[in-house]
Amino acid sequence: MSAMPVEDLAIDLMTDRPWITLVWNDPINLMTYVTYVFQSYFGYDKPKAELLMLDVHEKGRAVVSTGTREEMERDVAAMHSYGLWATLQKDD
Amino acid sequence: MFKSRLGGKLTLELDAAELDVLSQLFAQMADLLEDPESELEADPLAKLLNMSGSTQISEDPALARLFPDGYSDDEHASADFRRFTEQDLKAQKVVALDTARKSLKDWQGKSSITQQQALDWLKALNDLRLVLGTRLEITDERDRDYDSDEPGFHLYNYLTYLQGTLIDALT
Repeated sequence: MSAMPVEDLAIDLMTDRPWITLVWNDPINLMTYVTYVFQSYFGYDKPKAELLMLDVHEKGRAVVSTGTREEMERDVAAMHSYGLWATLQKDD
Repeated sequence: MFKSRLGGKLTLELDAAELDVLSQLFAQMADLLEDPESELEADPLAKLLNMSGSTQISEDPALARLFPDGYSDDEHASADFRRFTEQDLKAQKVVALDTARKSLKDWQGKSSITQQQALDWLKALNDLRLVLGTRLEITDERDRDYDSDEPGFHLYNYLTYLQGTLIDALT
């Protein structure tokens, strides 16, 4: 039996899930706090969480998750509960 | 300050001045979140269906920062998102705040904090920094270590320090 590599499967699902959650830069939230939130809510490892945090910090925003509209609304609501400035939109 | 201990427990140590200032700030935060107007206007049926939230972002910049729009490019979707999520978001903020206030109310010189309580403290302190930072019109993070003589900035820097010790203790 040959199993499809997990990475391939993830990409297949992504094409059908065209919504994204964006986190925007703000002058108050601490960089260490934002990293901590990305790790604890999304389960990202520290290097990935730090990269995303730096993207937010330096580019003004970053895509932190991708999925269905309902999933992204859940993620945005969770980000708001942590005090992060997040929005969702259709991926262009 | 927060310190981590063996076994995943944390302790919080505060002197009398810190205890006093945090109690006052959290009490103000509770008043800000209470928002009596929305309670009076709430339609009981809508309340029952958990959709009694407003649809408009607050004109108060601090509340607007605590309860931001869910969509940056779609006013209608933002209004719907707010109607269905804002009450729950507010309830979560109140729970976090209550945890922090209870630790201070039961204060006995030093406090042992569980992991769950630590998460509540983290959110409550962050909300406090968001409100205070917005009120102080902090806009540029490169100037975060404000050394102004204004008491508000001292408080803000203190909250930044305290939250920093909590993040260190948790990671």
